[in-house]
Amino acid sequence: MQLKQISITISALMIMLAVSSCGESTTTSDEVSQSVTMESVRETPRFDDGMVRFDRVPGEVGYWGNPGKHSLIENGVQVAMDENGQLTDINTADQVAPFKPWALGLYKYRQANGLADDPVNACISPAGPRHLHYEGGFRIIQDRNFDRVYMLFGGGNRGWRLINMDGRQAPNPDEVAGTYYGHSAGHWEDDTLVVESSGFNDRFWFSNGGLPHTPALTLVERFTRSNFDTLEYEVEITDPQTYTRPWTASWTLGWVDGEIKETFCEQVEAIDQYTGNN
Amino acid sequence: MKAALSFLVLLISLSGSLQAQEGFPLDGTWRGFWSVPGEEETLVVIVMDLDGENINGRINPGRNMVFFEEASLDPENWMVRFTSTSKADEPIVFEGTLENLGAYDRTITGTWTIAGVENQLVLTRE
Repeated sequence: MQLKQISITISALMIMLAVSSCGESTTTSDEVSQSVTMESVRETPRFDDGMVRFDRVPGEVGYWGNPGKHSLIENGVQVAMDENGQLTDINTADQVAPFKPWALGLYKYRQANGLADDPVNACISPAGPRHLHYEGGFRIIQDRNFDRVYMLFGGGNRGWRLINMDGRQAPNPDEVAGTYYGHSAGHWEDDTLVVESSGFNDRFWFSNGGLPHTPALTLVERFTRSNFDTLEYEVEITDPQTYTRPWTASWTLGWVDGEIKETFCEQVEAIDQYTGNN
Repeated sequence: MKAALSFLVLLISLSGSLQAQEGFPLDGTWRGFWSVPGEEETLVVIVMDLDGENINGRINPGRNMVFFEEASLDPENWMVRFTSTSKADEPIVFEGTLENLGAYDRTITGTWTIAGVENQLVLTRE
């Protein structure tokens, strides 16, 4: 009898376990699903003290690329363009940014001739925010020993940009010699790297598609690594000689596994002309 | 070999500078010669820049420099117009068309009218 009771008890326990197991099976399926989701949205990597890490964690390779947009375009505006910033319909040009009349005329001129005058054709840097939607990708290296951030670009001629994080301010554009990469000063607002830049020259296109600028250009850029694989970028553009008011553009970039490709810009036409290889 | 390399570097540098395009298209130093066809040419050097609203200009920087009195650029057809008065009190009116806009050494082709006499002038950006 006792054996029978024990047998029934064991059977009951086995049935309970089986039912429980079925229940667990369902739960486990959900957990797997959640786990997959968790894995696809990896957490933002950080240094030991909690600061966001914009570059690789030790032991991995990767860089930022695959921009969500291919030209500066004011937030909220929808116009069609290709990956070079060439508008599908040139009549939408005036929607792209709040241009002054001369700047709109120059933008339309550049668009109408198929961007043929793009200075990158002469290996001039796609500087300013253009590097962040130009081909080639980039890395953001935080040099915490010297309070600096370096941006290393794979596109153009593999240039690099320095952002000082030591408390200095971006200079008055009238008081410095303009350069391609300008003078940048950064600070943190929570997990967002905020960079103010000025002191640019106007010998480059600061966007795909040929949006004009002058040496009066100043930028306020915000970099936020919202998760492991996503960099959110926002830039406020102020150039009172070119645009009627400050305006903002933004896009996201993705973390690309692997190394930045080793490509260099060279003026093939000039070399061909020299070598007679026309 | 060294000479060939130097020439290549020079060629690349020159090609780059000629293709470069800048911001405001009138910004910079412009040089040309005005004359009635068949007569002696007179050099003119003009420096222009944009202050955000107005086009500022100086004609022949140096002892005989005079400033623009009015200047305009029509971006619909890239027509340039400015007026001034020479040191000899002669009114100057220039009207021309900005051409080859994408080039560093772009030009403005038009007429330079001084003291009521119309002359041809091609200004080239330096």
